[in-house]
Amino acid sequence: MATSSTSSASTNSASTNSGSTNSSSAGRAASLWQRPWVRAAGWLLLLAVLVVLPLVMTEFVNQTLARIGVFSVAVLGLNVVMGYAGQVSLGQIFFLGVGAYVTAYGVSQEWNIVLVFVLACLLPAVAGLVVALAAARLGGLAIAMVTIALPIVGVPLAKRLSDYTGGSQGLSALFVEAPEGSGLYDDQWQLYVVLVIGGIVFLLTRNLVRGRYGRAFAIVKGNENVASSMGISPYRYKVLAFTVASLIGGVSGFLYMVVIQYTSPETMSFGHSIQLLAAMVIGGAASIVGSILGGAFYVLVPQLTNQVDASVTTLLQGVILLVVLFVLPGGLASLPRALTRGRRRSGAERGSAAPPTTPSSTPGSGTAAEEPETERQGHA
Amino acid sequence: MGKFVQLVVDGLSTGSVYGALALAIVLVNQATGLINFAQGGMAVLSAYVVWVLTNQGLPLIVAILIAIVFSVVFGALVERWLMRRFERGDPDTAVVVTIGLLTLITGFAGWLWTYNNQQFPSLFSLDTVSFLGVSVSVRSLGTTAVIVVAMLLLQGLFVGTKLGLALRAVAINPQSAAFSGLNVGRLLMVGWGLAAALGAVAAVLVAPQLTLTPGMLDNALVYALAAVILGGLTSPIGVVVAAWIIGILENLAAVYVPFIGFDLKVAVPFILIFVVLLVRPQGLFGRKNVVRV
Repeated sequence: MATSSTSSASTNSASTNSGSTNSSSAGRAASLWQRPWVRAAGWLLLLAVLVVLPLVMTEFVNQTLARIGVFSVAVLGLNVVMGYAGQVSLGQIFFLGVGAYVTAYGVSQEWNIVLVFVLACLLPAVAGLVVALAAARLGGLAIAMVTIALPIVGVPLAKRLSDYTGGSQGLSALFVEAPEGSGLYDDQWQLYVVLVIGGIVFLLTRNLVRGRYGRAFAIVKGNENVASSMGISPYRYKVLAFTVASLIGGVSGFLYMVVIQYTSPETMSFGHSIQLLAAMVIGGAASIVGSILGGAFYVLVPQLTNQVDASVTTLLQGVILLVVLFVLPGGLASLPRALTRGRRRSGAERGSAAPPTTPSSTPGSGTAAEEPETERQGHA
Repeated sequence: MGKFVQLVVDGLSTGSVYGALALAIVLVNQATGLINFAQGGMAVLSAYVVWVLTNQGLPLIVAILIAIVFSVVFGALVERWLMRRFERGDPDTAVVVTIGLLTLITGFAGWLWTYNNQQFPSLFSLDTVSFLGVSVSVRSLGTTAVIVVAMLLLQGLFVGTKLGLALRAVAINPQSAAFSGLNVGRLLMVGWGLAAALGAVAAVLVAPQLTLTPGMLDNALVYALAAVILGGLTSPIGVVVAAWIIGILENLAAVYVPFIGFDLKVAVPFILIFVVLLVRPQGLFGRKNVVRV
């Protein structure tokens, strides 16, 4: 947690210099968050809310939340390979599709549910490993150029293997029903399943990207030559990141079947793959919170635009993606920090007598471009 | 035998379309070092311009010429107002920007002209000519011919003119080019414009076959990228040859390999890539990039 301490320190120094009350209160809040018991209480509160929430919300809200959970996990997987390891992947939805199909097929064959879950994780991971072994050999943007083929090959492939996939009609499987005697409705139970599995995946991924592997990913992302000069093989870590992303994609596919209970070749279409990437960038690259925001974006924006005019959805997503890239390259997850920066800068302008010791408040693109940099260090 | 030749000629024609798109991608990549995933989307937009103009009663050839001018301007504007800001930075971010542009164009076309398939007038007749007992379609021959001519013109521009020399200078080393007094920004706009024009030619030629939709060239883009990987980013000729190989192979595989068939032929270039990447990672014709640390 090196960044939070440095950022709170710099906020404090900025506040003493500019004399702005706003930023000093922000600094106090940040230092309060440093205390272990405050953190523990915060997490407990969040946990309590998550436990109670499904019980009090309507069915529609519960289903929407469960969908957000599903796609948050999918975006998180994309984030591992793209946000943390810096390899553009256009095929993440393919692994979600594979996971969903494996789940649906396993359930239809009445296999043990644990076995189905393991297979739904493992098969996409193996597929991802094979793709990455070839694609990562070419440097630069080769992974992007190869993975774009996954959804485009995946859709006809799913139609072709109709013995296993049900062809164009797809497969449906209802297998997560609330246990009798629990007094829960199906939608509540499904949301709990998503929360538990998704929560574990988020926790494990957070540990992964903040540990040794996360640091290696960040170096590979930053400069491959530096990485290899430090004994970190870019090839190996790219393959690893891609495989982990595929595995997480498989988990999201399993959850997809839990919540949506139906999959067809359309699930892994090229359009959906692009939307998932847009959601990740808009939510925030290389950010755990950004993955959740991205999942929410993926689910909520089409839901909102469909009420007005369904044909405008894609256009709107393109516009929002470009605007975010221009204005907020770190995505929605970097919004609070961008706001405090902006406030600090205006505070510094007001107190013009004070020497400008705030770290180089260059206007416009300069500071915005630094945003992902700090974020990355924070997780390293 | 007759069927085989027919398949090869048809494959050559679709291969030419992929080749044109791939060449446009290489053109942009040489100048700016990024991959433009919106190259196909921009070309589709040009095809829609032709479609709108012909619906207004303009002759097809005039509409195509107007659309080519439109693509040059559009490509230049995209470079100036969208890409320039991201060109110096992280290439991954720039790639995401082009994906945003693709989404924007697809969404715009779908919103304005719906996602339905539109009939598109063909530049060539649908007849077949018989040659030594083998019948091949005029459209395939014409498509190949037009794209080859376009590529030769482009080659002539790059090799034989002062503008071409300047464009090559910018591609090789933008900083040195700027020091020698070249207007790098303007030249990048020209490069993007030329690439967009090439894409527009490809889109107009393939649109009658595929029928016009906002996502018409998504598959072609995948083929073009496959050609770029196979040919190597540093070799324009290699890319075009790779595109022809892909076009011919996928046509033959669709007919002669029962499991692949017409629906799965898009997998052919990627099986090819898989093999090539494991054996020759720099592509069939590309140079190995040696980096000094």
